[in-house]
Amino acid sequence: MHVIDDDRATMTRRKLVPWLALALVVAVGIVVLAVRSRPDNSPAARAARLEQQLACPVCEGQSVADSNSPQSRAIRDDIPRRIAAGQSDADIRQYYVSRYTERILETPSNSGLGIIAWGLPALAVILGALSIVVAVRRWSRAPRLEATDEDEDIVRRAREETDGGERHPDDAHPDDGLPDDSSPDHEAPGDENGP
Amino acid sequence: MIRSQFRIRWIALGIAVVLVAFTVVLAVQTRSQPSVPRLVLEHASAPQLNLKTLDGKAVTSAQLRSKTYVVNFFNSWCIPCQQETPALKTFYDQHKSEGDFAMLGIIIDDDAPTMRGYVRDRGIGWPVLVDPKGSAALDYGTTGQPETYVVAPDGVVVCGTLGPSSVAELNTWLAAARAGQQCT
Repeated sequence: MHVIDDDRATMTRRKLVPWLALALVVAVGIVVLAVRSRPDNSPAARAARLEQQLACPVCEGQSVADSNSPQSRAIRDDIPRRIAAGQSDADIRQYYVSRYTERILETPSNSGLGIIAWGLPALAVILGALSIVVAVRRWSRAPRLEATDEDEDIVRRAREETDGGERHPDDAHPDDGLPDDSSPDHEAPGDENGP
Repeated sequence: MIRSQFRIRWIALGIAVVLVAFTVVLAVQTRSQPSVPRLVLEHASAPQLNLKTLDGKAVTSAQLRSKTYVVNFFNSWCIPCQQETPALKTFYDQHKSEGDFAMLGIIIDDDAPTMRGYVRDRGIGWPVLVDPKGSAALDYGTTGQPETYVVAPDGVVVCGTLGPSSVAELNTWLAAARAGQQCT
């Protein structure tokens, strides 16, 4: 009894190992992501980040950081002054939005058409996950193939050929004239004398 | 089986319709270049000014209080600015003697020595302000040059344009500002 309990405990531990490993990997990944995504809040890093987040107001497809237009240069000069004056990143962004509208933001807004830009990837992920769930459930529900009499005949004949005529009692067919285990004539060894 | 095939076809058709609609929406989203400054469209108050002229005289918003004034962003190398200068000169000559009128030029993306020569050669008589940090240009939300803004006595930007302006336009805007009217 103790042996069986020990075996069960070992099996349970073995089943848990992959899950524990997975949990460990996920936990380490989350910690690394959390540490790596913590922004550097030095003035220079904030200025560089804001320059990337703002679009050049007079060019197409360039950020303030990349553009050499007068307006972009003025913004690059202006951002450190605003940071030194104690303005938050949101305040600074808002100032430029008030001057150049939301088109100056490199990230789409969370209203109007901007919702599509934010929502489409999320919708794609959800639809993809749902598709996988539906597909897996459909595959798992698919009926297993059942052997027909014809299939069993094919298997039986193949076995006859490979076994050279020796048959297992289970292979007995009602029409093949072989002795059947279930017939009353059949006696198990040691049963000669009866009860 | 047939039913599920039909369902898949309907889903595929739905996704295709959504994608086509999205493409059409993006295709018709033309970025038209506005000709009216945002400050004018929003009937916004004129940004505060605290700059110096090419001669080193300070000019502040306080000095412009209760006046109708014109602000023109320009520089020496911009061809439309050069083309606009005669109209600005004519307009300025027509109104410089009026006590409630002021006109300012603000240099955008040019250096003071070059601009001194340009102002002298072109006979520009109105005060020209140096904006070395570009702060005035940012406060006005300029998107190029030339740009002209007309500010009413109450400090609201009532008229203006992105690009060169004509004498007739400038006079219309001045009259509207004095009458307390918006151009948009």
